[in-house]
Amino acid sequence: MNKKLRVVSERSETPRTTDTISAKPTYWRSLAELDQTPAFLDAVEREFAEPLEQIPPDSPGRRRFMQVMGASFSMAGLAGCRWHEDKILPMTRRPEGVIPGTTSRYATAMELNGVAHGIHATSYDGRPIKVDGNPLHPDSLGAASTYHQGSVLGVYDPDRSDTVSSKGGAGREVSTFETFDKAAKEQFKKLRASRGEGLRILSERTSSPTLLALKDRWLTAFPLSKWVTFESLGSNGRAAGTALAFGQPHRVHYSFAEAKVIVSLDADFVAPSFPSGLANARGVTKGRTPDRAEMNRLYVIESAFSSTGAISDHRLALRAEQIKAVAAFLDAEISAKANALPEQGAGQPKPAGEFLNDAKVQKFLGAVAKDLLANIGKSIVVAGLHQPAEVHALVERINVLLGNTGRTVFYTADSADSVTSDVAELKALTDEMAAGRVTTLLVLGGNPAYDAPSDVDFAGALGKVTFSVRLGLYEDETSQDATWHVPAAHYLESWGDARAYDGTISIVQPLIAPIFGGRSALELLARLLGEEPKGLELVSAQHKGLLGDDRRFRKAVHDGIIEGTAFERVSPKLTPLAPFKLSERETSGTVGNGQLEVCFAACPKLYDGRYANNAWLQELPEPFSKLAWDNAAVFSVATAKALSVADGDVLTVTLGGKSVELPCIIVPGHADGSVRLALGYGRTHAGRVGGKLGTDVTPVGGNVTRLRTSAAPFFTAGLSITNHGPGKRLACMQDVYTMDVIGSEGIAERLPELIREAPIEKFREEPHFAKHMVHQPHELNLWVDPVSYEGHKWGMAIDLNKCTGCSACITACQAENNIPSVGQENVARGREMLWLRVDRYFRGDPNDPEVRFQPLPCQQCENAPCEQVCPVGATMHSHEGLNDMVYNRCIGTRYCSNNCPYKVRHFNYLNFNQEVIGATPYTPSDDPKMKLKAMVFNPEVTVRSRGVMEKCTFCVQRIQNAKIPAKNAHRAIEDGEIKTACQETCPTDAIIFGDLNDKKSRVASLQKLDRAYQLLGELNNRPRVHYLARITNPNKELA
Amino acid sequence: MATASDFNPFQSAPKGENTFAQITDNVTRIMEAPRPPRAWYIAFGVALSMLLVFFGSLGWVVWNGIGSWGTTMPAAWAFPIVNFVFWIGIGHAGTLISAILFLLRQNWRTAINRFAEAMTIFAVMCAGVFPGVHIGRPWLPYYMMPIPNQMDMWPQFRSPLEWDIFAVSTYATVSILFWYMGMIPDFATFRDRSTSTAKRLAYGIVAMGWRGSSRQWHRYERAYLILAAIATPLVLSVHSVVSFDFATAQLPGWHTTIFPPYFVAGAIFGGFAMVVTLAVPARQFFGLKRIITIRHLELMNKVMIATGLMVGYSYGMEFFIAWYSGNSYEGFTFVNRAFGQYAWAYWTMISCNVIIPQLFWFKKVRTNVWATLVIGMLINVGMWFERFVIICTSLTRDFLPASWGYFIPTKIDFMTLGGSFGLFFTLFLLFCRYLPMVAMSEVKAFSPAGGHARPHLHHGHDDAAHAHH
Repeated sequence: MNKKLRVVSERSETPRTTDTISAKPTYWRSLAELDQTPAFLDAVEREFAEPLEQIPPDSPGRRRFMQVMGASFSMAGLAGCRWHEDKILPMTRRPEGVIPGTTSRYATAMELNGVAHGIHATSYDGRPIKVDGNPLHPDSLGAASTYHQGSVLGVYDPDRSDTVSSKGGAGREVSTFETFDKAAKEQFKKLRASRGEGLRILSERTSSPTLLALKDRWLTAFPLSKWVTFESLGSNGRAAGTALAFGQPHRVHYSFAEAKVIVSLDADFVAPSFPSGLANARGVTKGRTPDRAEMNRLYVIESAFSSTGAISDHRLALRAEQIKAVAAFLDAEISAKANALPEQGAGQPKPAGEFLNDAKVQKFLGAVAKDLLANIGKSIVVAGLHQPAEVHALVERINVLLGNTGRTVFYTADSADSVTSDVAELKALTDEMAAGRVTTLLVLGGNPAYDAPSDVDFAGALGKVTFSVRLGLYEDETSQDATWHVPAAHYLESWGDARAYDGTISIVQPLIAPIFGGRSALELLARLLGEEPKGLELVSAQHKGLLGDDRRFRKAVHDGIIEGTAFERVSPKLTPLAPFKLSERETSGTVGNGQLEVCFAACPKLYDGRYANNAWLQELPEPFSKLAWDNAAVFSVATAKALSVADGDVLTVTLGGKSVELPCIIVPGHADGSVRLALGYGRTHAGRVGGKLGTDVTPVGGNVTRLRTSAAPFFTAGLSITNHGPGKRLACMQDVYTMDVIGSEGIAERLPELIREAPIEKFREEPHFAKHMVHQPHELNLWVDPVSYEGHKWGMAIDLNKCTGCSACITACQAENNIPSVGQENVARGREMLWLRVDRYFRGDPNDPEVRFQPLPCQQCENAPCEQVCPVGATMHSHEGLNDMVYNRCIGTRYCSNNCPYKVRHFNYLNFNQEVIGATPYTPSDDPKMKLKAMVFNPEVTVRSRGVMEKCTFCVQRIQNAKIPAKNAHRAIEDGEIKTACQETCPTDAIIFGDLNDKKSRVASLQKLDRAYQLLGELNNRPRVHYLARITNPNKELA
Repeated sequence: MATASDFNPFQSAPKGENTFAQITDNVTRIMEAPRPPRAWYIAFGVALSMLLVFFGSLGWVVWNGIGSWGTTMPAAWAFPIVNFVFWIGIGHAGTLISAILFLLRQNWRTAINRFAEAMTIFAVMCAGVFPGVHIGRPWLPYYMMPIPNQMDMWPQFRSPLEWDIFAVSTYATVSILFWYMGMIPDFATFRDRSTSTAKRLAYGIVAMGWRGSSRQWHRYERAYLILAAIATPLVLSVHSVVSFDFATAQLPGWHTTIFPPYFVAGAIFGGFAMVVTLAVPARQFFGLKRIITIRHLELMNKVMIATGLMVGYSYGMEFFIAWYSGNSYEGFTFVNRAFGQYAWAYWTMISCNVIIPQLFWFKKVRTNVWATLVIGMLINVGMWFERFVIICTSLTRDFLPASWGYFIPTKIDFMTLGGSFGLFFTLFLLFCRYLPMVAMSEVKAFSPAGGHARPHLHHGHDDAAHAHH
């Protein structure tokens, strides 16, 4: 009421003097006006004399208020209701360089586990809405992973901490930056006097030159303080292993594109959690293009199915602990035959053991060794980061012996990677804290109270620290026991810098001012040191020496990298390795319940739990189990059978007396006797998405860090399970529960037609095999083709040889197209909205299967079955060949989906955007935090209401954004100018979009390739997406 | 009573020993009684509660979104469309009895045609609710109508759903006209026998001035014949068009040329089962045993054996064609129906629709009221499952195994399904109480007192009126 009336008062801005009113009016509206009674004049006068909002509604002035308002209504001649009004501020004078309503891209970088990934962030009217890879960045090459794609949602997370808080009597108390700064100033004054006695800093792994310089200054100012680095997924295996092999730690870099034979020992080297993973993915798939060149051969020995295993030619599933024996076996074979120099030492003695005696394993390893030796200087052996130092040492020894150094494998000597493990450092710190030797603790990011191993009671010890400061994006588990919690700025909100794995420096620039006023680690430390606490100044000062003038700094910020800052490549000399002892376990065969191996792995969605409150990433299906919104204990088919567990059973998994309840998921191809548990779940203080104690949001998944120990943080033995029988329906996006016999037979029968593939020999003999796999009769159309495609004719080609199933495309699509997340319950029902799915099929023997991925966007059929059955014409054929969805016209009969053979259409069964946009257009959401969530929306894509169908549009908004400037400039659209969101983020370049009418376009040439085929083309739908058949390069010896 | 062996389809109605006056008394006393039987009240109470559940569940769905049902992807059609096809099918028996059997001079139809027609209309009303509310935006179904509008939007006539709109609305219109016109002479009887002014006025208005003159009877019979001729193709067309929703889609299990005759046979089968389900209690509670005799029930049971066998043949033929076509997707769909995740639904359908009706080969079963009622109800269950099997098994496992799913209904699904029976029975019970449940004039024409010939029909009305006064 008050608000509406205020509007009225604001309308009458011209002050009227009493004179004009007191003059007898010629025209009058009421007798009072005509008579100019004192009451009337008084009322009129009051109306303009004092602003209405100064009258408190409940004061005696209320009556007067109403009178005044009555008068003002009659004066203004206004009556009736008004719509709710919002004021807008037109930019009548446009700031230089800003065009409202257009997007601009800025280079920046995101650091994960101490490695920077260069990105391009898209900004729309001052807010970042999308993240893509930076093509100049050596680790990105234009690609981005699920983590990067999802990170932009975190900027607008309403659960982010928005205020400083302190520990009070009963829980957290809201405080301010001023109070904190004052308290900290006092504390650090004392610390300066004591030279930092009892001061400790706990930081995440970081490569930031500015932060590391600050660290040096800090340690000078507080010489008695200690700087501890802890990263839950930080492993020191490679650093320690290279130290064993070369005398000091080295980083290892690869040129996968040059390699002919690649052997992975439990290394998912194409994963975003692997250093340079996306660049590796680009390299390894580049070497797997059968159309022109020879293909590389990829052997993968691993404990759980990984993206690397998915694209391999030969795969052997072994427990993680058995890898050491495999490495020893390969070293023994290769040292014997590769003529090792005397100073390189002798190879390992050939290991023996139960599993190594298995004929299949022997044959496999024999073939691998032979193939490696046949490709001297053209091979790569790579070990998983979680593997112990010995494995890494052996792997580097093999690479050196095979002459790969300097050709396919490169080394840089880097002191940044610690040889001691992160967990050991954290344990030492926690012991100090528990003993009361730490008086002041700074926790910069991370979440050690959640992800410290079970034998490191960080949360408990934190309570003993008298002055602890926690800088964090969320007021999470670690913040609970800290004396001070300070909100951190998101990386898209702060200045900084970071180094790629090869050392190339990127400048991190903010896209938006901190929404909740958070501080970056740089700013906090500088302030505590008494330095200039501005991020930009700190960063530019740091690089002054390197870049000199401001112009070069600006160029570095613009490009996202500082060229020539990569570490120097070195050729280290091998030192002889003593024979490693192999425990009985490491060579044993099958293991039973109670002796099971357990692997703690980075979640491909939540990483270490930091993305637990990210709905996009929670809803992303895990590539192999297709499970969303949960973590599970993953078993192989044989192990599940031996333990009599089935998909969806609720299990208690126990290790060392600690147990967690988890659902069971069976993934064919998992190593027998090994159980994989994804980290990052069971968060108790994540937020409205990931779980929050004390609210009705229960934690998503089970917290398996409770089972981890500091002795063996990545894998260990001795897990036992108890089965409690079937639990709730899991939110799996494919194959819900075990497939029945009929279903499995049906899949096996049709799979060769859906995923067409052949070994390379067959492909060379019969290049058109994929086209002739299914008889495609000449069929007549019932209807005349609606359009003739005179202008553009958009099409896509998807190379099944390149897809690793990483699913970055899914999240990229979700971010680009404002796709809502529907939550666990609706996913379990099958109502996920993801426009792009990546279908996963297993092939062959369930105990030793291969996996095939097939990204499935809308096929944009020329003869589209969906278009013909819509009664209201809500899905129509565009003149450029897209199946356009007209949301306004759609009434939601869902007939189009029923008639779609690919089932790529998704329906808004409920108002999935309700909390953000409100239940109806007339009841918009008033919650400012929910409105904040709407800030991530791409303004060029309609936010769909309840009850309408939606599907992939080939990113029609990106097409229009390229068409309009091209038309204005009177030029044709160049090939590659338009990239769909999925294409742009794809690390392996598996998705190519373009104009089929442009005969020279990449997509047109790919669609003309021999191995291109149409999925279900025999239905006469004429899909616009063509798949390129998968070609494998098997070793004949293993065939 | 005639036995099955000497049954002549062209003979007149089964002979109940009714005089015209008795017939009139029998039918009108239901309306004239100050209170209906207690059973009516109980039934009406139950029906009304179910109706409330119906509206409640639909309100919930409209307010919250159709995700309140279990309908999902890939089963984008589930209970609501199953219910729609089920109810549309039920209606067919009424039209068949009133139109086709009329044209074929099956005079025994007179005892049951009126409430079979009423059943048709109520069933079509139940069916009509679903297309409107099952859509995602239930406030916009008029987009499907060819209404000129400022948005320049026009329906898409290639869509079978569009054909449905016209088929079902034509069907509803003709059925209502046919039903209403047939009731006019009986309304006149009600009017003439009414004791209260209100009733006389009400029945007088709906009787539209019927006096029973020769000219009126002449016009009436012409019109009746014409409407019967119009309604006859509708019996075949409506369910054929409904089947096109499925047959013209390219989904394995839907894309089948046998669907139109198969759907029509199934509709008549299920419709007769519903007539029997309604006739047995109605004749019991309203004392119409002398008009709707065992012989009528037996004849209907025979129709059910015939149509049930047609349906069974269709089930078999689908399998044969799936195998014979050599299409692997088609073949898989049918094997999956019988032995896959929805095998329980498939075998419920087979048991209720094919196996159990075979009991009607035994005369003892055929002429037993209880057996007729139970088997009729089971056929209703079977026919509902037939639609469920067609829709859900085909949708949940189509071409790409990665998009396969499973449909699980919610509570709201069951409330809507059960509630639709509430709507049906509420309307039906009101009909029993206030409208002529049996076509008196037509029954009289074929009763022994009225002779066998149609031209004497009008005497029935006059004589009955005289006899009473």
